[in-house]
Amino acid sequence: MSESRAFGLLLVAPALAVLALFFMYPLGFSLAGAFVERGGGLGLDNFHRAFDLYGSDVGFTAVIIVLSTIAIAAMAIAIGGYLTLGRNATARAILSALYRWPLFIPFIIAAQCMRTFLAKNGFMNNTWVAMGLLDPADTVGFLDWRGIIITFVWKQAPFVTLMVAGAMAALDRSTIEAARNLGARRLRILFEIVLPQIRTPLAVALILSAVTMMSVLSVPLMLSGQSPTMITVQMAHRIQAMGDYGVANALGFVSYMMAAVFAWFYLRETVKERTR
Amino acid sequence: MTPALLWIPRAILLALFAWFIFGPLANLLIWSVAEAWFWPNKLPSQWGFRFWEQVFRPTGRAMESLSLSILIALLTVVLCLALAIPAGWALARVRLPFRAVIMLVFLMPQAFPSLPVYINIARAFYEYGLNGTILGVVLVHTTHGLVYAVWIAAAAFSAVDRELEQAARNIGATATRTFFTITLPLALPGLLVAAIFVFLESLDEFTGSFFVGAPDIQTLPLLMFTASMAGSYQISSITALILLVPSLVFMVLVQRFLKPEVLTKIGA
Amino acid sequence: MRKTLALLLGAAIATGTSIGAATAQVTINVITAGDQNMVDYITDYLGPMFERQNPGVRVRAVGTGPGDAGSHRIWERLNAQRQANQPRWDVDVAVVHQTMAGQMVREGLLQRYRADVPTGTLVTRDTARLALGADVDGFVMPMFHSQIAIAYNPQMVATPPRSFQELEQWVRQNPRRFGYNGIRGGMSGVGFVFGWVYANTPGAERLMNGPYDANFRQAWVPAMQRLREFNRNVVITPGNAGTLDALNRGEIAMGPVWMDMFYTWQAEGRLNPNMRLELIAPGLPGQPMYYVVPERAANAEIARRFIALATSPQVQAEGIVRRFNWLPGIDAQHVQPHLEAQVWQRLFRDVSPQTLAQRGQPMPMGNFFREIQEDYERLVAN
Repeated sequence: MSESRAFGLLLVAPALAVLALFFMYPLGFSLAGAFVERGGGLGLDNFHRAFDLYGSDVGFTAVIIVLSTIAIAAMAIAIGGYLTLGRNATARAILSALYRWPLFIPFIIAAQCMRTFLAKNGFMNNTWVAMGLLDPADTVGFLDWRGIIITFVWKQAPFVTLMVAGAMAALDRSTIEAARNLGARRLRILFEIVLPQIRTPLAVALILSAVTMMSVLSVPLMLSGQSPTMITVQMAHRIQAMGDYGVANALGFVSYMMAAVFAWFYLRETVKERTR
Repeated sequence: MTPALLWIPRAILLALFAWFIFGPLANLLIWSVAEAWFWPNKLPSQWGFRFWEQVFRPTGRAMESLSLSILIALLTVVLCLALAIPAGWALARVRLPFRAVIMLVFLMPQAFPSLPVYINIARAFYEYGLNGTILGVVLVHTTHGLVYAVWIAAAAFSAVDRELEQAARNIGATATRTFFTITLPLALPGLLVAAIFVFLESLDEFTGSFFVGAPDIQTLPLLMFTASMAGSYQISSITALILLVPSLVFMVLVQRFLKPEVLTKIGA
Repeated sequence: MRKTLALLLGAAIATGTSIGAATAQVTINVITAGDQNMVDYITDYLGPMFERQNPGVRVRAVGTGPGDAGSHRIWERLNAQRQANQPRWDVDVAVVHQTMAGQMVREGLLQRYRADVPTGTLVTRDTARLALGADVDGFVMPMFHSQIAIAYNPQMVATPPRSFQELEQWVRQNPRRFGYNGIRGGMSGVGFVFGWVYANTPGAERLMNGPYDANFRQAWVPAMQRLREFNRNVVITPGNAGTLDALNRGEIAMGPVWMDMFYTWQAEGRLNPNMRLELIAPGLPGQPMYYVVPERAANAEIARRFIALATSPQVQAEGIVRRFNWLPGIDAQHVQPHLEAQVWQRLFRDVSPQTLAQRGQPMPMGNFFREIQEDYERLVAN
């Protein structure tokens, strides 16, 4: 198009300005604040204290995010795969109608649901006891890291599945048909034909999902009082109970580093896509 | 295996999946009408609407919180679209320098864990008297929702056939007129999707409001959180149901607008 | 047509605002830390009562959340307004915990008012003059006194432990049947940790009464290590209400709770009426919460009237004791005449006044308060 570049930049400017003021400026504060010590000088004291107090929480957060992402990916591929390759139209329709429901349910409501669902004598265990599958004395509460992962998967899998199913649906069916005519089994088609073609949308969705999960405060706060917990909870605690911005920002810096790892994967994917 | 027998494993898996999806929601429904529920009872010992009365009482804050939440969400949508429509159009139609970088920049609020940012925004807002105000919360929600708005708007404008615009220009329409009569209406479904995403993100937003809004601005999610932490599961379940209604309505609406072609263009 | 509409709209707005101005209302802002019951106390009981007695005044209650975090929020707000040099602040009455009250007085954020309210002489306890070692005389009036005790389910616990020693043993034999909220989400857990440290540290009186000594920090390290062992067999709940909730749903059989929340939940049908309390030896802490008036409160005079009403014997009897099961803020002898004997005795159903007097402890003073919690994070929770 022959529209002037200057005009184009002018149109983008207001949005960028809002972003600069209300995101990048506090972000800079956060990054810098991690290094400002209690005495006023610069140094790594905040990091020392952060790891001293919350080292296990950092590891815990990483494990939860990774496990959740793997589980979400598995579920999304399974559901998307069935929707694309499944033979029974009724089953496909039912599945398609079912999986979307948690999509628009906010984390905080998901946390509230799961809090009473996953408890030792909550709905889930009660159902199994009522069906005779479990003895009342053996019920186990899931209100710890497992509950956090279950809640994340419950909430995020529909979003990733939507992206994956959409991408799969937009694929050229001829490659799939060709493989089927050659006699390939559907599972093989899924992993060797379909999956490679949707790698980029899958990666984008998983990365967005992972970073979203890293920002969530409501789920670990409401579900698990256990230690260790996610570092978002500790950041909030540090600020609200003690006004300790130093350690809170240090923890924030750590979570940026974790997100950077994911961002690196995203950039790798898009660069590969463009150079293909 | 005959087709009928195949339905046994299918049905079991589907039923299990349905229970996984709906079980927590059903639980929420039960809590909202449970007046007394002690262990070891599997179901409430007393059913009733007593807590509904409590939530909707005149001194109760549920209705106030709901209208506050909706107001903030609407303002966020307006601000977001006002910023995103020109930006999205420019990204779709103009060969901007550093286009990829600009797109990535908008991804930043979603790509970075936002909690540390909220903490520092709240601190900055204190100094400018923006903490605990509707404007403050709207600004925070807008920043977070810009990525949806800009990316989806860019994708929506990209999907508009340039030949239609060319045709209009060829018969003498000005650029502005073409935009308002051809481009915008064609991009509208995509823009509506963006609006819906932004609205829902704002309505359900908790963490930012927790730091920037509380305690004066008590949005419905904050009210729900407080009730839940205080152990009032009935009240938090009822407010959760209230909060869910707009989400479910929009989910039905968005089924119509969410086309695969628009989706795959996101991130391009 | 459009012009007419615009004129009509303008007229409507003008009329609306003038009506508003005619019935000019003063709104006082009461900001309270603590659980939801603190806010409910004002929105459901005290606020409407004050509004009836003072037409033209509206009471706005805002809750900042449980634990010291809630009080800290209030401090932040006052501090921010002072730093911005605002002449009149938007908080008229605040209800805060002891540590924050001490800090606020030290930093000059509050004004003296106790001498100017008629009910000021009705409280003679130490807690009205000292907040964990800090001198707050004249700046505060206790709203209530509360006490932590161990709640237990008699159907699951035949003989409850009577001391911290017995508790330690019981938990070892009954893993994951005891729960508390750590040091986050509410003071009942924090209080339990303090009680543990008192019970397991020689020379613990120094922690309660001072003087502060930075070197004393070493003395409670063994106690922390024992607590770490203890924690292996317990459930950590999300907060004050979380413990009561877990008790109610059979997830735990025992846990530290605020006695007032316990009794209130039972009265409201939210907690199984069979549950009981035990105040274990050597004791558990309790705390008052204080009414304070910020230095530059916009409506200081109305604020004082509000506090006078809140600390009057009738309101203390009806609101604090009868409705919310707290121990009164003002001296008991002023409150008792306004209650039937059985209502007063309800407060002591499970724990007698003698036991309360013997085993009710104050929270740790001064820097000990913060240091014990930090060491919990460092040595126990990490």
